[in-house]
Amino acid sequence: MLKVQEIRELIKLIDDSTIDEFEYEVDGAKIAMKKGGTHTEIIQTPIQQPIQPALQPVQTAAPAVAPQPVSQEQSSGPEQKEATTDDSNLHKIESPMVGTFYSSPSPDADVFVKAGAKVDKDSVVCIVEAMKLFNEIEADVKGEIVEILAENGQLVEYGQPLFLVKAE
Amino acid sequence: MGDGLSKTKNRILKMLVDHQNEYLSGQKICDCLGCSRTAVWKHIKDLQKEGFKIDSVQKKGYRMTAPSHHLSEANILSSLKTKKLGHNLKFHETLPSTQKEAHHLAEDGAADGTLVVADEQSTGRGRLGREWHSPMGTGIWMSLIIRPDIALHQTPQLTLLTSVAVVKAIHDITGVECGIKWPNDILYNGKKIVGILTELQAEASHVKAIIIGIGMNVNADAADFPDELKKRAASIKSLTGREHDRPAIIQAILKHFELLYNTYLEEGFEIIKLLWESYALSLGKEIYARTVKGDTIKGLAKGIDDEGVLLLETRDGTVHHIYSADIEII
Repeated sequence: MLKVQEIRELIKLIDDSTIDEFEYEVDGAKIAMKKGGTHTEIIQTPIQQPIQPALQPVQTAAPAVAPQPVSQEQSSGPEQKEATTDDSNLHKIESPMVGTFYSSPSPDADVFVKAGAKVDKDSVVCIVEAMKLFNEIEADVKGEIVEILAENGQLVEYGQPLFLVKAE
Repeated sequence: MGDGLSKTKNRILKMLVDHQNEYLSGQKICDCLGCSRTAVWKHIKDLQKEGFKIDSVQKKGYRMTAPSHHLSEANILSSLKTKKLGHNLKFHETLPSTQKEAHHLAEDGAADGTLVVADEQSTGRGRLGREWHSPMGTGIWMSLIIRPDIALHQTPQLTLLTSVAVVKAIHDITGVECGIKWPNDILYNGKKIVGILTELQAEASHVKAIIIGIGMNVNADAADFPDELKKRAASIKSLTGREHDRPAIIQAILKHFELLYNTYLEEGFEIIKLLWESYALSLGKEIYARTVKGDTIKGLAKGIDDEGVLLLETRDGTVHHIYSADIEII
C-alpha cells in the first residue's frame, strides 16, 4: 500500500502537471486521478485486497482504522452551567458553528457585553472562531443580556446557547 | 475614482502588455479604443509615472519594454486571468486596513468577488486585533469579498482553501515553495511569509459575506522588519535575493483561488483537503497546540478531518479535535 505521504506527493505532481488522467496500481491498491476541465477529481479505490502481503512495512501508528474514542474537545471540559432560572421565555443566542468563544475583540479589550447590557439586533455579542475564521455573532434581538453561558476561550458546540436575552 | 478615464488607461495598458516588445501606433490605439491621440498620450504619461517602462518613438508608436512591479489599479487589472474575482477592484495607495474597508463595502452590498488592495496599511491588523506590519510598496495587503451559498459551519474550510491558492501562486511567480502550518499560516523555513485572516458576515445561520484578508511579505528587506518580527517573519525577497512582481502574484492568487473555489462549490471539500495536506508542514509530526485558554497539548498531528479540523493524538491514544490553537512544530 502507498503511504498517505506518497499519495499526497502524487496528487501534487499530477496537479502541477499537464497530465489529465493517471492510474497507478501497486500491491493490490489502485489510485486513479482525473482532471476534468477546471476541476480535479481524485478517486482512490482500494481494490478488495485478498490477503495482506506477508511483508508489509510496519505501521508506526496504531491500527489505522481502529475505532477510537474521539474526545470532543481539548481539556477544558464541559462547563455547562445549569441555567436554573426560568429561561423558557428568554431568547437564546446560539452558536451557529463549532468553535472557540471569545468574549472580547482582542485579549486586552473590554468584553463585547456584560450581563445587564442592553443590546440591539445588530449588536455584536461575541466572536466564535474555528480554523482562523472569525464570526462576529450578533444579538439578533433587541433586549437585555440576562446571562452569559460561555466563557472566554471555551469550545462551543453548534447550537449551544451562548447568551440569554430578555427581549423587549 | 474617475472610472471612465482610468478604464481607458487600463485598456491601453492591456494592449501594450498583449503586444509586449512591439510598437503600437498611437493611431491604432485610438482606433481600438475610440479616443483621441491626446488622450492616449496623456494616459501613457500617467502609466510611465506609475513605473511602466514604455518607449515612445516618433512614427512607430509606443512599446512596453518591461512589466512594472509597481502596484496600481491598471497594473493589477491588465492581466487578470479570472472570470469574476478581482474585476471589481478597489485600489488605494494607502488605507488604514483593507479588511476594515472590505467590511464596509460588503455591508454596503459590494459584489461577490470584489477585491480591496492597498500599497500600504497604516493600521493593518491580524487576528484578535494583533497589529500587522504592512509598510508602503513592499507587500501585498488585500481583502477579497466572496458571497458563497454554503452552510455557515462549512465556511472555515475556505481558510484552508485560501492557503492552498496562495502557496500555488507564490510558487508560480517566484519559484519558492512554501508550506502550510495548520490551519493557514504560510511559512518557509519556519518563518511566516503570509498571514490570512478570514471574517464572516452572517445573519443567524445565513452567510452574507466572507472577507478574506491576505498579508504577504514580498519585497521588504530583512533589515526592514521590526526586531520582534525578525525571528518569526521573512519576505520572499529575503529568500530569493531579488524583487518580485506583486501584481503578477495577486493575479496568480486570484486565478488559483477561483479555480479551487469553483471546484469546492461544485464538488465539496475533499479535493481541497488532499491538496492542503500535500503542502501541510505538521502532519505526521510531533506538535504543541496551545489553546486560547493557555493550555498546551503535545501530540502527533494525525491529519485533518473532513471539516478541516486538526486531529491531534496524544500519548494515551486519545485523538483531540482541534478547532483553534497556535501550533508549534517540535
